[in-house]
Amino acid sequence: MRYLLLSALLGAAIPAASPTDPPSQPARDSAFHLLNRLAYGPTPGQIDAVAREGVLHWIDRQLALGPRSDRNLRDRERSFPLLDTSTEDLGRMFLAARRERKAARRDSTRTRGEGGPMRALASQLPRLAVLRADLAEHQLLEVMADFWTNHFNVFYGKALDRVFLPDYIESTIRPHALGRFADLLLATAKSPAMLVYLDQAQSIAPGSEPPGLRRLRGPGPRRWFSRRPEADSMVSRIRNRMSTGINENYARELLELHTLGVDGGYTQQDVIGVARILTGWSFDRGIRRGGTPGGFVFNDWAHDRGAKQVLGIDFPAGHGRDEGERLLRALADHPATMHHVSAKLCARLVADESPDSCIDLAVATWRRTHGDIAAIVRAIALSPDFWSPRNVAAKIKTPLEFVVSALRAVGADPDTGGAAVAAIARLGQPLFLQSVPTGYPETQEDWVNSAALLARMNFAVALAAGRVPGVRIDLDRIAPSSADPDQWLEALDRQILGGRMTGQTRSVIRAQVATVADPAAARALGLGLALGSPEFQRQ
Amino acid sequence: MTGISRRAFMRAGSLALASFGLEPLFLGRAAYARRGPAAGKTLVCLFQRGAVDGLSLIIPHGDPAYYRERPRIGIPRSDLLDLDGHFGLHPALKALLPRWESGELAAIHAVGSPDTTRSHFDAQDFMESGTPGERATRDGWVNRYVQHHHEHQDTPFRAVAFGPALPLALAGAAPSLAIDDLKSFGLTARGPESSYRLTRAFAELYRGSATGLLSSSSAEAFEAIRMLREADPGQLAPENGADYPRGKLGSNLKQIAQLIKAGLGMEIAFADIGGWDTHVNQGAAAGQLASRLDELGRALAAFADDLGPRMRDVVVLTMSEFGRTVRENGTGGTDHGHGTAMLVLGGGIRGRRVLGRWPGLEPDLRYEGRDLAVTTDFRTLFGEVLVGHLGKTDLTAVFPGFEAGPPLGLFG
Repeated sequence: MRYLLLSALLGAAIPAASPTDPPSQPARDSAFHLLNRLAYGPTPGQIDAVAREGVLHWIDRQLALGPRSDRNLRDRERSFPLLDTSTEDLGRMFLAARRERKAARRDSTRTRGEGGPMRALASQLPRLAVLRADLAEHQLLEVMADFWTNHFNVFYGKALDRVFLPDYIESTIRPHALGRFADLLLATAKSPAMLVYLDQAQSIAPGSEPPGLRRLRGPGPRRWFSRRPEADSMVSRIRNRMSTGINENYARELLELHTLGVDGGYTQQDVIGVARILTGWSFDRGIRRGGTPGGFVFNDWAHDRGAKQVLGIDFPAGHGRDEGERLLRALADHPATMHHVSAKLCARLVADESPDSCIDLAVATWRRTHGDIAAIVRAIALSPDFWSPRNVAAKIKTPLEFVVSALRAVGADPDTGGAAVAAIARLGQPLFLQSVPTGYPETQEDWVNSAALLARMNFAVALAAGRVPGVRIDLDRIAPSSADPDQWLEALDRQILGGRMTGQTRSVIRAQVATVADPAAARALGLGLALGSPEFQRQ
Repeated sequence: MTGISRRAFMRAGSLALASFGLEPLFLGRAAYARRGPAAGKTLVCLFQRGAVDGLSLIIPHGDPAYYRERPRIGIPRSDLLDLDGHFGLHPALKALLPRWESGELAAIHAVGSPDTTRSHFDAQDFMESGTPGERATRDGWVNRYVQHHHEHQDTPFRAVAFGPALPLALAGAAPSLAIDDLKSFGLTARGPESSYRLTRAFAELYRGSATGLLSSSSAEAFEAIRMLREADPGQLAPENGADYPRGKLGSNLKQIAQLIKAGLGMEIAFADIGGWDTHVNQGAAAGQLASRLDELGRALAAFADDLGPRMRDVVVLTMSEFGRTVRENGTGGTDHGHGTAMLVLGGGIRGRRVLGRWPGLEPDLRYEGRDLAVTTDFRTLFGEVLVGHLGKTDLTAVFPGFEAGPPLGLFG
């Protein structure tokens, strides 16, 4: 264990005799493990490159890269008009699509509206995520962006989240993915995407109503007869559709999933306290001029100004938006939160069942750095647990990790089409479509089953045979064709499986390849079997 | 804390490895001698994930508190389908009314978990592990049933989950299958010959190289491919004019019916149906919840139509992790509650009754003054179905440490 860690850290300190010399096997092993966990697997040649550079150096270089500075992505991102479409424009398209659908329902002779531009833009959201994971130089950022997108899961299919989710990823998750946890938590709490997803925007103090409605109804107490019948019917229509009290949904998931964890020691009274404190947190519905459309707003009229208590902390009466921020900062700094989130980080980066020592180390770093995510991730990556042989190749890739690592392994240059996205969905992880707030699970029991394994094998074979639409691969780049099948197998093992190919896999591939006459088809089959092998499912 | 989880470890040493030799696949043996007679009984579990509002599913319209607490989402008496003067069926479930009339449908009310968590995720895990409050349990009650009950022949189809993932209920040492789609279950290649060769290559590769969960799951997959190739259930068309609604549930139930007809030895089938977490605008006789119930009702009715007389050997059991608040919330919906209602559909049950003790909806009768109390432990219901329908007599391994209450009287 110590040897693997040491050789990993010292990789750069022991320069190879010449840059073309192959690095030592332990250095390659370390580089492969690192790239499997802190990146979406190696690209052709990357194991050797990182083995030469040294693991520590690679990590620090990754952490030093600024957001939005990825050279690999800059040009490719231009082919995603979604990134240049404002939330306001998306909102307009959403409403237009909805009107079209309604009109189509009323008038059966009209063809059903397809929601044209909206749908085309929406499909770019998962494609962009896959493209970034595949091609980004800043791999660690992509891994962490995925981690937090999942931790603070928002379901694309929930109402206005079709409009808000792209901005949620760009402005809420990605800028904070390696920043401070408290900032990330506050950003998600104020994001229209989350406010819609967990119904917070509709949670109001019982009995409160918006000033507009009061004006419509006229001043003073309700009169026994109305001089404005049409206004009264409008008021009653609005009132019927309006919230009349608190909704606990966000408050509960905030405590259970985002911060303290289900064992974090909170009660039903705490959930209600949190819900009351956050009444009035909403987003601009575009009714009023000024302000960012779709931005966060605090509705003073909807806020419960009474005294509350949460987790033994007093929130005196008379406060507004400030008490919500105070609550979120307290939650971000709570020991239960540190423990819960650290355990999730260790499960993602180290082992399905987070080792206690990994959690302790992450919590200690969290305390010392006030929740600096980059520092916590770095500490985990340099921990003995991360490098323990028991944890190497011990995790099974999630569908996203499997598909993207396969794309990277073969150096595939995907276009912006959706074939890879569809494959990930078929494997059980449709991106941005997890409807429950837990996000997707991390452990092997959740991903390994008969159907999923067959689907992985199918994707592997199709990818290698060039049958995944829009994904070009170059077989020579992976393992140059060779007259000697063993030499070719050796190269395949080094590039695709990091040298972990078992004797059985080797002999099955050798036997299969021998039965195919066409050399290119034979190599494609061999590659497909390697990508579909049990070795490639592990990381 | 070990690197390998308990569930994975248990799978690795399981009979799955030993009993599913891969040879038959390659030798192309004509008949599968290990398959038992096709006359077995099947239990179909439908998990309504997200906590269904039991008070809308089976409406206690005779309880005065019901309409008082639900001014916006209560289902008016004129709309609901009265069952016994006190309870009514949600109007969106009208497709199931004939089954109620014929005594093939029963409901259990105020059923749920003794654990009072309002977390979806904990409560779902508890209902699937069958050990409420015990978070360390890593296998499911369906799997433990398969482990400990061996009257039937072992086939990989004894427990089948429909969907891309294997739910906790089926996880554990005994073999269990996840099938997303019967038609596409297998390896695709150009032509059956190539597909056969590819399957053989991967089977050999996994037999030698896979460890842990990868090993047992792949062995089950290759055995299932072999059996499906011979039985080809995917070509069995729905019978008796059964009209499955579009969508995942209809498609899953249709495939469950195909597997039952093919006689592959499936004892327990498991499928999910989501969309029940109605915090906002859940609607009343029409609306969000009604449209989910409509799909559920039509899918179940189509399933029963399709199976016709075979329904005598089939029981469908719906379940959900908990119920929802008695009082509607501020946003025309309901928040997480406690007790809920479950349905049992089957040709051999004593139906046309709402079973379980009704605790009442008045505040002092509720759990914590807000939720429908639980008067029937879900394990009492599940256990009664296992014993009454599948013939399991000893439940101690399936629900360890649980003493069942008096029987509800679903069978006999």
